[in-house]
Amino acid sequence: MRARRRIPAALWAALIAGVVSVGCSGSGEAQKPSEPSEGATSGASAAVRPQPTAEGNKAEGDTLKIGIVVPINGDQKPWGDDALNGAQIALEDFNKQGGIAGKKVELVIGDSGSNTEQAKSAAEKLISDGVLGIIGDVTSSNTIQIAKSAFEKGVPVVSIGATNDDVTKQGANVFRVCYIDSFQGEVMAEFAYRDLGLRNVALLTDRKQAYSVGLSNSFRKHFEQLGGKIVGEEFYETKQTTFTGQLTNLKAKNPDGLFLSGYFPEVGPIVKSAKAAGLNVKFLGGDGWDSKEILNSGGEAIVGGFFCNHYNNKDSRPQVQHFLKRWKEKVGGEPGTTMAALGYDAMAVILDALKRCQSYDSKSLAAAIEETENFPGVTGDLTLKGQNGNPRKRALVVEVRPLPDGFVMRKAIEPKDLSQ
Amino acid sequence: MALRVRIASILAGLAGCWLLDALCRGLLRESEQRLVVLAGLYVTLAVSLNLINGIAGQFSIGHAAFYQIGAYTAGYLAFFYYGKLPLQGVPWLVAMLLLGMITAALAGLVVGLPSLRLRGDYLAIVTLGFGEIIRIVVQAIDLTAPTGEQVGGALGMNVEPRIRIIGLVWLFALTCIAVTRNLCKSSHGLALLSIREDEIASAAMGVQVPKMKVAAFMIGSAFAGGAGVLLAHSESFISPSMFPMDLSFIVLTMVVLGGSGSITGAVIAALTLFYVPEYLRGLKAPDGTALTATGASLLGWVAAVVAAVVVVRWLAYRYRGTARQRALGYLLTAVGVLVLGRLLGWGLSFLPALQQAEYEVQKLRMVIFAGSLIVIMLVRPEGVLGRHEFSWDRLARVLRRQRPKEATG
Amino acid sequence: MAPGAGLSLAAALDFGTLPSQVVNGVLNGAIYALIALGYTMVYGVLRLINFAHGEVYMLGAYTALFVSWAYGFRPDVPPDQLPESSLATLLVMMLASMAVCATVGVLIERFAYRPMRNQARISSLITAIGVSLLLQYGGGLFLPQNPPPTMNERVNPYRQTLELTLVGAPRELSQAVEAAREEFQKAERAFEERLQAEKDRFNLSPEGERLRDAKFEAERRLRDAESRLNSAQVTVRVSAGRLAILLASLALMFLLRQLVLFTPTGRAMRAVSQDFDSAALMGVNVDRIVTITFVIGSALAGAGAMMTATFLGTSITPYYGVLPGVKAFVAAVLGGIGNIPGAVLGGLLMGLAETLVIWAGYSQFADAVAFVVLIVVLLFRPGGLLGSSAVEKV
Repeated sequence: MRARRRIPAALWAALIAGVVSVGCSGSGEAQKPSEPSEGATSGASAAVRPQPTAEGNKAEGDTLKIGIVVPINGDQKPWGDDALNGAQIALEDFNKQGGIAGKKVELVIGDSGSNTEQAKSAAEKLISDGVLGIIGDVTSSNTIQIAKSAFEKGVPVVSIGATNDDVTKQGANVFRVCYIDSFQGEVMAEFAYRDLGLRNVALLTDRKQAYSVGLSNSFRKHFEQLGGKIVGEEFYETKQTTFTGQLTNLKAKNPDGLFLSGYFPEVGPIVKSAKAAGLNVKFLGGDGWDSKEILNSGGEAIVGGFFCNHYNNKDSRPQVQHFLKRWKEKVGGEPGTTMAALGYDAMAVILDALKRCQSYDSKSLAAAIEETENFPGVTGDLTLKGQNGNPRKRALVVEVRPLPDGFVMRKAIEPKDLSQ
Repeated sequence: MALRVRIASILAGLAGCWLLDALCRGLLRESEQRLVVLAGLYVTLAVSLNLINGIAGQFSIGHAAFYQIGAYTAGYLAFFYYGKLPLQGVPWLVAMLLLGMITAALAGLVVGLPSLRLRGDYLAIVTLGFGEIIRIVVQAIDLTAPTGEQVGGALGMNVEPRIRIIGLVWLFALTCIAVTRNLCKSSHGLALLSIREDEIASAAMGVQVPKMKVAAFMIGSAFAGGAGVLLAHSESFISPSMFPMDLSFIVLTMVVLGGSGSITGAVIAALTLFYVPEYLRGLKAPDGTALTATGASLLGWVAAVVAAVVVVRWLAYRYRGTARQRALGYLLTAVGVLVLGRLLGWGLSFLPALQQAEYEVQKLRMVIFAGSLIVIMLVRPEGVLGRHEFSWDRLARVLRRQRPKEATG
Repeated sequence: MAPGAGLSLAAALDFGTLPSQVVNGVLNGAIYALIALGYTMVYGVLRLINFAHGEVYMLGAYTALFVSWAYGFRPDVPPDQLPESSLATLLVMMLASMAVCATVGVLIERFAYRPMRNQARISSLITAIGVSLLLQYGGGLFLPQNPPPTMNERVNPYRQTLELTLVGAPRELSQAVEAAREEFQKAERAFEERLQAEKDRFNLSPEGERLRDAKFEAERRLRDAESRLNSAQVTVRVSAGRLAILLASLALMFLLRQLVLFTPTGRAMRAVSQDFDSAALMGVNVDRIVTITFVIGSALAGAGAMMTATFLGTSITPYYGVLPGVKAFVAAVLGGIGNIPGAVLGGLLMGLAETLVIWAGYSQFADAVAFVVLIVVLLFRPGGLLGSSAVEKV
């Protein structure tokens, strides 16, 4: 009984004293909230992003360190491995072309372990190691973490595959080489409404993936603006194996199109299962579909589906052909996912900016990245200047055809082509 | 005298935390400071789960749920109310800490009530399920801010402002340790221990079993909730994916690995298990590139460790020496592993297929983590410290080749 | 999406789809039940939650995949060059999966669980978690996963869909659909002919656009007719593959029941599960029985993995077993862990509960429902549905 009375007392005393001691020592660190800027989502309009106040890192000696944070462990490993290989090829290409005189660019790898906590740990470690800039990550949720740390330290970030709109709002040091969800949602909404003549579309969203939720919302918004109707939305979670319940519901709503905003490991089986449930409709999706494997997992059902992508293997642009050749030499075969090309571009954009740097530190690197204009990337010509970190570049609408054709480019949509 | 000791230890704790704070600020880079914070949170989680699991004997494997509840309490409140109340900075954090603890304690009450009817594995699965329910519900909720901004859901949410105070985090961890330790020494703690040993017998002895069980759940979850608040404000971002089922398992592993019921054991295991994967992340070869291991050396190490496990188990089975002799045995085996691993690796490197296969240690780190879990459990099933607490006395006795006294509690 | 939009959309329940959803639920439940059997058998004998069971399941899926590759169903082969599949192929795949899983299960038992048998149960549990993590991350190093592979759909020779109409629609409606379809086909033909003359399929001439819009119009009329027909009739659709899963699961469960009830080994198993030590005293070779339990439980997981990989066709990754593992574990506890009919009942019940929640329009909560049902059931029957909630004797 004696002890019971004293424990809370000790606890209170400890807490209060703790606050006082911390307060007195003046080490309490309550930073001002860095309000993300409101408004612009499609990158074109000028909203002010907060400028990082920190100085960032400076190059020491003749080595210029660039960090890359990608998942090389955990369930996002396939994307991470591809992005890493892509970035390494970009660095080799850069060095072959002469690199920067007297300097050596070193790529330092951090593992985001497919989760946000480790992504942040990895990024902070790289920043402490003195990297000038960071490439990564392949997903939006991890990139937001990396961007937060990098913002505090004033180190620029070039994201590989974070398509969520909010990512680049973290600060003026955050960039990406992929398009954003509201853009690809708009592209697919336009395509569905105008080119395919769809009016009643149903959505199937992966509730666990911020990417999927964001893309579905963007599609919904633009499709309804065009005058179409979203007849229903159902949810599943990554790694589920049966989708018959959701599909039976959607079948009862009689859609003429089904927008699948998730990733290909689930989309393939969903499409097969949808055909079996009697949903003979057009299937549409985003860049999460991009993997040869969807031809296998989607079987005959996926043929005739359309999705939005960053680049296409059959593209005759020299950058694409060069990239595929180099990939074959170094890794073998063809890249499994689109992250390979985006990883290449992210690295290439940073290296291109490094070349234009006056002095080798984070600040001038960030400024140089911001100045990127019409950079001929594998995934298209991209411009970052005045775009709030979201590149102005084209998106491709790709049709799924049976092997050996695979993905066939149907339409390249430039931002200016969109009606709104 | 007792009071004086108590005051002295509180003061020492405060001074220690202040010193740690100052030292970390002075010596560590910011990325390392964050790791110190996370380590403190893991210690809190492990010790608070130890109270439920190790001391009260209630099999709970859903501790991440309370952590998440605390974090989201702070997250939602900060989102809607920060800046609108007179509380700013540290007082705000302390207020959140208390609120988070209360919310989590209420959740602990909800989970604790089934524990009155359920036992063992059935209780375990209910706690696991509770964790999943919380995660899925949080994931499915989108809130709309007054500004029209969307928060919550799968993408997670920002928690502003960022308040990261190493001293406060560790003070909280120390408080958790102190509360648990004092509880153990009190009559209430003995009641909890008796429930762990035999519920029916302790009820027969007049222990109010239901009350004690629920109390253990509530205290344990309150501290986990507090840790969640500190996490939310220190990371200034939370998302449902930060609180997966695996997190509960890892915290449980910390408790068991340290020795169920041993507070110091939980602390040591929490620090080790948190640090090992972080250490492996940073390993570099002398030339600055990422460290790689060849298939040969890998296979060599695995074989050596397997051999060591067999030897240690055989020794433990056949030979019961003094503590000092056993410690010596462990030491010798460790040396043996190092030598044998090198030798086997060297021998196997003559097979070209094994020599050419290269693996980056970074990619191996989670495999190493899982492997060492199994090895430790095989070698010391009762956990590193068993049910004992770490004490210099005991260590000294081991070194002075005295037989340790039979342990109590 | 405005908060709650998903909820309001589904406010009206559609009883026309209820029969289909019940069938879906039973089919999903059969898979849970098959995996749950492995958990429940091991638990019954050892009182150990075998957390690595999900990973054994994952290895079974990979084995089936490798065997299908050996048969020539590799992902890079164009569809017209794929070999023909048959029941024999499926059986070989299933046996291979079962064999590999049984071996892995026995190895795990021998080297990770048996040394822990006399220790506190929580220590064995941690070992089980360790084994599970080791297989997941180890699989991440050595198993093909980039991109996550899927079983080729041609492996499954039974790809047709069975359709059963419970409540028929009036003849006029189906005639209207036929008429609309004919018109649509006509419009489509006209458009296709025009396309031959067009240069770019997606940048049409005015004439092309007119024909395309006419085709869209006809297509929309066809959809309307179809939707009227659909809402008038109640149809249950089942793909043959999913039916095969149900039948095979039932057959395996029946075999297991016969084995447990009517063979000497089964009798020994029941004895060991009732009282480990007494069974040993009565001359039962306990180690042998535990091994057999792991063989059977893991082989069932292997069969389940082979069937889901083949008939459902989801991507196979080192984390393939995590979600089914947890779900099946819940099913086992729901039915009363250690109880074989209980696992089957629990699996079916969980499959039904999940599908009915989806039917009611709350698919974002489907995964949580399993746990809610579990908690509610355990509060009223602490030992699970069929489990004996044994009162502990002093």
